[in-house]
Amino acid sequence: MRTAQEIGGAAAARTARGASLRTESLTAGYGGSPIVHEISISVAPGEVVSVVGPNGSGKSTLLKGIVGIVEVLSGSVHLDGADVTHRATEEIARLGVGYVPQVDDVFAPLTVAENLEMGGYLLKPKDVPARVEHVLDVFPQLRRMVSRRAGKLSGGERKMLAMGRVLMLEPALVVLDEPTANLAPQIAHTVLDEHVRRLALTGATVLIVEQRARAVLAISDRTYVLAGGRVRMEGTPAELSASSEFVESFLGGGQPAGG
Amino acid sequence: MRPGGTGRKATSSLSIFESSVAFGLITSAVLAIASVGFTLQFAVTNVLNLAYGAVMIAAAFAAYAVNQAGVTIWVAALAAAAVGSVLSLFLNRVIYTPFQRRKTSPIALVIVALGMTLILEFGTQAIAGPTNVSYTMAQGPMLQVGGFALSAAEIAMIGLSLVIMAFVHVLIRYTRLGKAMRATAANRDLARNCGIRTDRVVTVTWIITGALCGIAGAVFGMNAGTFGATSTDVFLVLILAAVFLGGPGEPYGAMLGALVIGVATEVSAAFIVPDYKDVIAFVILLTMLAVRPTGLLGART
Ligand SMILES: Nc1ncnc2c1ncn2[C@@H]1O[C@H](COP(=O)(O)OP(=O)(O)O)[C@@H](O)[C@H]1O
Ligand SMILES: [Mg+2]
Repeated sequence: MRTAQEIGGAAAARTARGASLRTESLTAGYGGSPIVHEISISVAPGEVVSVVGPNGSGKSTLLKGIVGIVEVLSGSVHLDGADVTHRATEEIARLGVGYVPQVDDVFAPLTVAENLEMGGYLLKPKDVPARVEHVLDVFPQLRRMVSRRAGKLSGGERKMLAMGRVLMLEPALVVLDEPTANLAPQIAHTVLDEHVRRLALTGATVLIVEQRARAVLAISDRTYVLAGGRVRMEGTPAELSASSEFVESFLGGGQPAGG
Repeated sequence: MRPGGTGRKATSSLSIFESSVAFGLITSAVLAIASVGFTLQFAVTNVLNLAYGAVMIAAAFAAYAVNQAGVTIWVAALAAAAVGSVLSLFLNRVIYTPFQRRKTSPIALVIVALGMTLILEFGTQAIAGPTNVSYTMAQGPMLQVGGFALSAAEIAMIGLSLVIMAFVHVLIRYTRLGKAMRATAANRDLARNCGIRTDRVVTVTWIITGALCGIAGAVFGMNAGTFGATSTDVFLVLILAAVFLGGPGEPYGAMLGALVIGVATEVSAAFIVPDYKDVIAFVILLTMLAVRPTGLLGART
């Protein structure tokens, strides 16, 4: 398994396209009472930052608040220093934010090729084929299934397509919501260790939510721990792995990962 | 105007069959325009707009007014398209969207649509009067086409329908707008993350499908011969049958569904009891829902 240091080394080689992200005291929810409370996190350009925490702790809601799908009740979201709070999700996307939801992450009735084309909707039509080629170079396994309906792909293939779709616009920030949910352990590791790393190598900043804390720590520069809709801990993988509270609560004891 | 299903002189069961298939194809042509518009509207906007039939007939009356002023119905149909667009946009802006914003459940929205049907039909009747009307149009010479005897006007209706099907095909397959419509239909949040301004796509979809609805209304009027404010009530059931037979939200499915329903109803009218021909459409629909709920071409999970 690769370590955080290797990813950190890769960060140096990344192009400088990654955007910075910062939330300030972000409170968000679905119209009723807030789900996440006063969340302040920051992600530096080119960083891979993860958010871990138990089921129902508000990880998905936090991401939806950042990309503008869920209502921000108070606080703010800043992209490269600019306040993007309350902007429509399509306008945030136009600023270079790619978002891979936990479920419904592809256009199921559309083919793989069409999914990628949709990802390149904002590109000049004549630039789309070359960009599709580029994405297929990043995820070569997709190449032999370009004309298959996305809904028919396996879980791992589908995640690759979802990430490839996002890559079409050369995103400055990629927001991933539990890319390994419902995947077999072996495939989950491939997704985290290979696919997410390939995303990061494009230079994009990556904010990733995961339940597989140990595995995601290994590819993270820094990690936030969410519980009950609030940030409970934060730190580098080494720092968190050295915390007995973190190890016992979130890694289920055993050997710390990535440190 | 054309007579009922078995009106033509038939000397053998074969010619009864052939003429009923011919009638079926005309019904299918009208139904296809209406159903493709309906299914596209439903797919992209997420509204099961049961007021569709009422908009059709209001548009048919608009074409009638223009037709009465001396314009050929083939040009007056453009007025129907315009009225169809305007009324559909109105329904979306003033009725459906405000209800959706208040998180009205889809089933409640269907009730709202049924209410709008009554209001639109009442409004049409208030403006146009309670008597049925007929377009002033020439049927043209009877022509033999592939074994079927069809009037020039009927052939033109089928031709118009084919042109509209080709238009829809090119729109959804090859244009940027059409792709945005399909993306919005498939997964609205994901479409928005592709940078697609889905609110605009939805608005344009109401305009386009409203125009299809309006043209369908005018062609319905031509085919029916005489029509009144509530004449599309039963036709709406045929539209729903064609749409759900093909798989709701599937434009190609709706085309196929329209072909099946149109021909099946007219052929059954010729061989069983004409009065029950619309029931046949419903029986086909129920069978389909029982056997394959996603429809012929539906692949949604
Ligand atoms: N669409 C929604 N509407 C209302 N409440 C929701 C919705 N989605 C999630 N929730 C609630 O928000 C809380 C946090 O959910 P979520 O953000 O999905 O957690 P996580 O991603 O950490 O598992 C849960 O209690 C859940 O019931
Ligand atoms: Mg979640």
